[in-house]
Amino acid sequence: MLFKKIISPGKKEQKVLDNLLKHIKLLCSACETFQKAVNSKLMRVVIDLERDGDIVKRQIISDVYDGAFLPYLRPDLCRFTIIIDEVFDLVEDAAFSYIDLKIDESLIDDCIRVARLNCRMSEMLLISLEAMIKGGDLREKALAIRIYEKKVDDIKFDLLKKLRTVKVNSFWEGKDLSDFISSLTSISDIIEDAGDHLQVINVSLR
Amino acid sequence: MNIEESMTANVECIDTDSSVYDAIERMVDKRIRSLIIGPPDINSGVITARDVVFKVLARGISPKDTKASEIASKPVVCIDKNAGLIEAATKMEESNVARIFVSDGKKLVGVLSMIDVMESSLILRARGTHAV
Repeated sequence: MLFKKIISPGKKEQKVLDNLLKHIKLLCSACETFQKAVNSKLMRVVIDLERDGDIVKRQIISDVYDGAFLPYLRPDLCRFTIIIDEVFDLVEDAAFSYIDLKIDESLIDDCIRVARLNCRMSEMLLISLEAMIKGGDLREKALAIRIYEKKVDDIKFDLLKKLRTVKVNSFWEGKDLSDFISSLTSISDIIEDAGDHLQVINVSLR
Repeated sequence: MNIEESMTANVECIDTDSSVYDAIERMVDKRIRSLIIGPPDINSGVITARDVVFKVLARGISPKDTKASEIASKPVVCIDKNAGLIEAATKMEESNVARIFVSDGKKLVGVLSMIDVMESSLILRARGTHAV
């Protein structure tokens, strides 16, 4: 209800809120497609979803500075949108690196686990935004995001240890593999940042 | 959310003829509290930090001269990977253990600790699905 109290729910604001939800739903789709694409050939779809995300991001920023919401809220809403865009970029980077990559058997299970956790985190971010729009408490959601992030960190530690033992045939194969693992395991950090920023926006509404 | 999603997927094992000292070294190195003795199988034994401290160190026994298998508990307390969190928590309470191994058929595929159960219950609360 806080959002409803502070802003008059005009057409512009509603459009931004709808697009914020759409943006994160697209991120959920990208993460889910990525998760399914490890072991299949769906990665190109992830790249297409990132482009759709770009379009929604531009629309949100344009609408916000076209007068939606009170001026003090605008930079935070835009910052939040840009953080989501950074997550999209990382998912896309991971997808790009993956396309011609042969992942060693010893790494594949951990990669799938991280992809699944990234997917869950993006869903939790969507749940958080929906709760904020309804004026709900974000404390439990923020904690859940932090728990997921810690789980990814634990796997990352093992993954990096294993990575050092994997034999690569060329510099570029090694670089692609390193870039892939780096992007895949950084997604959760940025989703956590997005969750924290949502908390900041929520607090600033009080 | 089932156990498979909440557990830690690495099951650490040591050889059946390893000493307690080898086990301590591995636990400290990997920052874990339990090790399977032998293959990751439901019929194998398990050695925990509790076993090491109470059965060896506190009694002044040399960890280098004691085989890990001598102080291991057998068989391991385990639960199927498709079971629910409540079932796992109940089994932990009944068996008085802080972590339970997760099995897929006869193979051990992960470990579920009390912290994992608590974390999963918080996640379920945040999702609006209270299971624990």
